[in-house]
Amino acid sequence: MERVQNNNKVTALLGWSLPAIEAIDKLDRPFVVVGPPEFESFAKENEISFVGWQFQRLNETSVELYEQLKALGVELAVPLYEETVEWAGALNARFRDDPRVFNRSLLLRDKGLMKRKAQMAGMRVGVFEEAYNKEDIHRFLKRVNEALIKVDGDPADPIHVKPLNKAGAVGHRVIHNAADISDIPEEDFPCLMESHLDGQEFSCEAFIHNGKVKFLNITEYIKLGHSNFVPASSALQEWRPRIKKEIEKLIASFEVEYGVIHPEFFISPDGTLNFGEVAARIPGGHIFDLIERAYGFSAYQAQILCSDPDTTEEELDAFFPKDTEPPKGYAGSLMVYPRVRVIERLDVPEELKSHPYFDKHDMFIPATSKVAERVGFGNHYGTIFFFGDDSEEMRRLLTEYEKHDFYL
Amino acid sequence: MEAQSQSNPVNTKFEQALEALEQAKPYAKSMYQTELFQQAIELANTDEGIRQLFSYAPRFEEAGVFKGGPWEQAEKLQPPFVGGSLKLKSVNSVVELLSELRMLAIAKGTYAHESVTAGEARTFLNEVLALNLDILFPAETEESRINDGEHIQRAERLFRFLGEQLSFQAIAKQIVMEIDRLTVQRPIMVNRIVKMITMAKQMMDANIDEQAKAALQRYAEAIETPTPLTKQASRLRDYNLALKDASEEALQAEAEAFAQSMEETGLVSPFHAVFIRHVNRQQPELLPATLRLSETGQAMLNEQSELVHDLIQIAVHPHTAQSIYGLSKTLDRGLLSREPVIPSLRRLLELDIHPEVKKLLLTPENKKEGLTANAILVSGTISVLGQPLGVGQGMNPTCQSARAISLWAQHGPGQLMEFIARAARDNDIDMIFEGEPIHSSNLEGGVAEEIHQELDPVSKVLVPHLDKIYNEMMKRTQLRGEDGHKWVNPEFYGEWIPRGFANIIDPITTAVTDYSGFVRLFYATHHPEYNEGHELIYPNPVGIYITNVHGDLLGLHAVSIQRIAKDESGDYRIYFYNPNNDSGQNWGQGIEPSVKDHGEQEGEASLPFDQFVARMYAFHYNPYEQGDTFMVEEEIVERIEELAKESWGKQYTWL
Repeated sequence: MERVQNNNKVTALLGWSLPAIEAIDKLDRPFVVVGPPEFESFAKENEISFVGWQFQRLNETSVELYEQLKALGVELAVPLYEETVEWAGALNARFRDDPRVFNRSLLLRDKGLMKRKAQMAGMRVGVFEEAYNKEDIHRFLKRVNEALIKVDGDPADPIHVKPLNKAGAVGHRVIHNAADISDIPEEDFPCLMESHLDGQEFSCEAFIHNGKVKFLNITEYIKLGHSNFVPASSALQEWRPRIKKEIEKLIASFEVEYGVIHPEFFISPDGTLNFGEVAARIPGGHIFDLIERAYGFSAYQAQILCSDPDTTEEELDAFFPKDTEPPKGYAGSLMVYPRVRVIERLDVPEELKSHPYFDKHDMFIPATSKVAERVGFGNHYGTIFFFGDDSEEMRRLLTEYEKHDFYL
Repeated sequence: MEAQSQSNPVNTKFEQALEALEQAKPYAKSMYQTELFQQAIELANTDEGIRQLFSYAPRFEEAGVFKGGPWEQAEKLQPPFVGGSLKLKSVNSVVELLSELRMLAIAKGTYAHESVTAGEARTFLNEVLALNLDILFPAETEESRINDGEHIQRAERLFRFLGEQLSFQAIAKQIVMEIDRLTVQRPIMVNRIVKMITMAKQMMDANIDEQAKAALQRYAEAIETPTPLTKQASRLRDYNLALKDASEEALQAEAEAFAQSMEETGLVSPFHAVFIRHVNRQQPELLPATLRLSETGQAMLNEQSELVHDLIQIAVHPHTAQSIYGLSKTLDRGLLSREPVIPSLRRLLELDIHPEVKKLLLTPENKKEGLTANAILVSGTISVLGQPLGVGQGMNPTCQSARAISLWAQHGPGQLMEFIARAARDNDIDMIFEGEPIHSSNLEGGVAEEIHQELDPVSKVLVPHLDKIYNEMMKRTQLRGEDGHKWVNPEFYGEWIPRGFANIIDPITTAVTDYSGFVRLFYATHHPEYNEGHELIYPNPVGIYITNVHGDLLGLHAVSIQRIAKDESGDYRIYFYNPNNDSGQNWGQGIEPSVKDHGEQEGEASLPFDQFVARMYAFHYNPYEQGDTFMVEEEIVERIEELAKESWGKQYTWL
């Protein structure tokens, strides 16, 4: 691969992520990490170029960050986490002298705007509204169920609420009744409300360069926030041409030019493709790790390469596997949440560990045995990784062990 | 699609994890440590796995196994912290284990470390072993039971390996102290002590301290060949044959030597059983010497010679030799003059034992020796009667039941033997609680989910019943808004327990309430200088908090106050019975129960009066035997309250 022209250009990674640091290091590209100040001493110890920064909402100090990075020779910013997306937008707008880069990034940070934009582009979305207080949610729940012609006594159809600007599953709640509404903390407002869509949920990881999809992965969800695998099973892959069309629609309307996007869709029972939401950062659910396991390339490196307008077509063609090249197998992950309040011990069945699909797990008995209260789909405590060549067996394992209590 | 097979053995997986870690850049080590620790846990599950882990140990430090944690710099590690980390459930216990293997690699010269020499590493590990004999010789204490788990077994496996790899000489002294401490309490169950002695024997060939060597020698002989003739006979059978030809003087010398060893150590050799059976048949006049009886004991023997003869004949075998000590003490206690005891013992000799109970008593070992269930039961009963404070709860959370057996053995032998007979014959015990009979056989579940069988025979038979009955009685008091022990203890233990009861925990709020009043009341009812001189007549079952060496709360425990008396320096101490049989634990804040040298009798532990009070949360008292609470000095109360608040009290709200 030719990468001579990149040798002097410094890339800024926005957010602290060791896998991303390792990935860019292995690409031999000069880089600087922009991250929370608490990582400064570690960075210094390990000779990682570092700028300490708190990514709260954008403010007038963004110029300061730009100046600092410019002085370090940075010409490209890559967002790793949700809250860094508009920072990358702001920085890249200046680096590329194109103010609209920033405005585009805001579309990806406001779930209400995002939904509207998708709807305007002719994509199917559920019924949605923004809520500024609990009263809005009560009304929305009622109106949605009225529209569904529910009479008293019928079980209400649930709705979903998510804070407007948080990463995918953070703060995502399913609302069935008034009690659920009263549980929502004030800091989750404003939020987006949507009607519930039944159907198979999946996500895509599209690596985009110069407005074109260079690589498209489809991730099949077994249980949202708990388990998924890469690539999707053949039943879902049959939809690939239509999915790709939708993503191209998305790219065109959101004017995405460089980087990775991670949209979520549903296929409803009547066979329509519904748009859920889209992000432009490292996806959750260990999807990047699964992509590496299944296809053999580093998704972190792919994100960095695609984020750089100067990466050549040839470089990308050499980097990504050909469409004709089959994946090495199915890679799945199961995220484990304790179902007890205090963790006494771990139970990882021998049967699981000796299954040929079992790759590894990272569960230990945590130092604090008391389990943190889970908010929405909150953080998981451990992950089990699988790898094998039959998607049905993968589905069976993920379904079966989702029910197992690993933490006792 | 092709997926590669993952059916590799664990050590290849470990090797892969180690290689991945070695290849990672320093900043990325933490991402690869996780998998290495997982595979280390898998390997550490077996002795062979520990050995394999050790073969990788020279690569650990360079690979970055310890990078970014407290184990990073080997030269900064301190032996006193090792035990604590090994006992953690979290991943830290695995890192600690890997760190010990690194040290061993340095000590053995398979890994040259730039700042730790082989000698330093050896010293480090020796100290670690000496400081953690409880891991080297797994104990039956509160702490080990409460914290038991996979990580503990892993630590024990590591220590076995370290023990094999290192010479024991540096820790020999410490081990002798440990054996001293345990034997001085004269427990009925001596398995753990015997195990320690057997392990420690390996050290005697090494170049160890002469004094320690002599002590170990004495202990080793006590459980094997304590007499001139036993030293010549390698097998029990040979010894028995030798006895037949032995002269009068030689037999006299044997009797003296056996008795001497038994008296000094509380341990009985299987040869002692062969000897006493021989004497019992051929020369009963040697029995007093063999048992080293006091005058009372001799009188008892003369009076009940036929019964004693039968007891020995039926119950004393090489495998039950330890009961010889119990027999000696039973006779010395004069118990055989008590009316119910004699027929009760006779009844056990021929009792028709329930099949379920037989199963409990006849362990595979006992069966191999050809013992009958009656022999085991009678030998166990003799031990309990002779060593009431030697009753232990083993690995079970059944301190209440152990305390009951001990109390009855002291003050209600008739009742005890009635329960033994009922349980052994009918597999049932019944007690009356507030006018209603409770039958253990009708109950499901007790405090303990399962009774761990490392117990003396009487406890094996009784504890499953007692535990269920106790649990049932407590259930029936659940909604009374006060600690149920107030009603349960006097009915469960019997009329020896006074009806007055105090507990510092308010059951509704679970907060500590009126602590100073509690302290004052205890002084006014128990301290001879404040309680109008009323002496404690029967053991008082009290509740205490068990704390670790840092004073942190480990759990609740039941002990009995046996006596309150002045020690050699004229200070009042509380002498108590601790059913965990290992009272010499360090409770933190300088509170360390002593088991000897402060006037303790066999099986007693003791603490200065105020220190004991600082760990107590409940006691019984006789309201008619009480002094004035206002006479207790403020300063005493404050001192105790401070000790309480800074230890177990940190876990509670104080009102």
